[in-house]
Amino acid sequence: MPVLSELPTSTLVLWGLATLLTLLLLGRMIAVNQCRDFPLFCVYLSMNLLQTAVGVLLYQRYGFTSTFAYRIGWATQAFVVAARALAAAEVCYLILGKYKGVWALAARILSCCGLLVLSLALWFGRNGYQVGMATLEIGLEASIATCIAGLFLFARYYHIRILSLTGMLGLGLGMLSCFKILNDLVFERLAKRYGDAWNLASSGAFVAILLIWIWALRKPVSVRFPGPQLSPVKVYASLIPQVNRQLVELNERLTQLWHLESPKS
Amino acid sequence: MSAGFFIIAVIGTLGLAGLLFWSLRGASHRKTVDHGFHVFDSAPRHLRNMAQIRQAMDRADLEYAAEKGGQQLSARIRSERRRVTLLYLAAIRRDFEQSLRVARIVAVLSPEVSGSQEYERLRLSMVFRLRFYAIRLGLHLGNVAQPQILALGQMTASFAMQLEETMARLGERAALAAELALQSEQ
Repeated sequence: MPVLSELPTSTLVLWGLATLLTLLLLGRMIAVNQCRDFPLFCVYLSMNLLQTAVGVLLYQRYGFTSTFAYRIGWATQAFVVAARALAAAEVCYLILGKYKGVWALAARILSCCGLLVLSLALWFGRNGYQVGMATLEIGLEASIATCIAGLFLFARYYHIRILSLTGMLGLGLGMLSCFKILNDLVFERLAKRYGDAWNLASSGAFVAILLIWIWALRKPVSVRFPGPQLSPVKVYASLIPQVNRQLVELNERLTQLWHLESPKS
Repeated sequence: MSAGFFIIAVIGTLGLAGLLFWSLRGASHRKTVDHGFHVFDSAPRHLRNMAQIRQAMDRADLEYAAEKGGQQLSARIRSERRRVTLLYLAAIRRDFEQSLRVARIVAVLSPEVSGSQEYERLRLSMVFRLRFYAIRLGLHLGNVAQPQILALGQMTASFAMQLEETMARLGERAALAAELALQSEQ
């Protein structure tokens, strides 16, 4: 591998390790049938592997200085980011999808927030980047991280418990996005001095997050997501009048309050 | 890329990362929303004391005490009443939080959630908290804030009225479902 050997050993090791861990994770998910629970997450992992394969072929053929290879490399990144966005949407659905009403609301709000953040990132970064794809990547990563954070906030607000597995997947996706943004920003700002370290940091962060995902998905049994324990109709029928009585009582107190004299001063 | 944009973007991203950890920690450590009956046991019940609190905070009342018992007595009464008012404020807050909890349960269990109602509740709770802390601060600083406290109490009550409408709709649906189930069994 004459071209790849030009890379620093540490970068090559981390790149290889990331590829190996991705293969391990994907293979394990397929073997224990977890792909059925996280199909889009598996697509994302597959896209990652595909990007690595394309990258190796490109750089071997055209070298690191080729503009063509550089552009294609960034273009493949767009597909990977889009796949990650879909995986993030899948995590959102797995956490909130069971609660139909809340999910319908959250999907609208999170989509709007994601689009807003993407638009803002594209607008404010429109003149600053050497490669347009980097701007797009920052925007997409920011919208993914915002959606994941918004999802967790929704769950927190409605007291919906997040399973450790889905939480870790979401956290990994969100943290990866945050790291990519920081990495791209610093790379853009300090490109000349930062060169190799950028690759190293990027691979290192991905390896760390892969390890989190492997740990989260360590259980071989396919995870089932129990639906919310909705109360049966009879419970509702007995519960609602009880609540209504309490609220009527509250209203009566309110009415008493209205009948009080207004303050003197 | 300007230095300003760079700094804002870096701070924003770090903030987002922190928010991710904070919100996940809160969501994964909390128990799933409690769907039991006991949530509804403690309905808002502090509004009945609104009249006494209003009286206690009446400036004319304190002026009367000062006129009849002197400044020392007036100061002592003012201090005691402020303490009572602070306790009352805390009680109003508990009422409000309880109503919010009920509303969350209703929302989570409902197959349809109105965005405007949810937004209204969020807005109300934010306004409530802002006013709550402003009034508490004012009381600690010695300002008697009668109108603000009355507004807080009214907010709690108006929120409870909204809840009633929602619960009534759910009740209608439950009754309809029960009727349908009965028909299918027959």
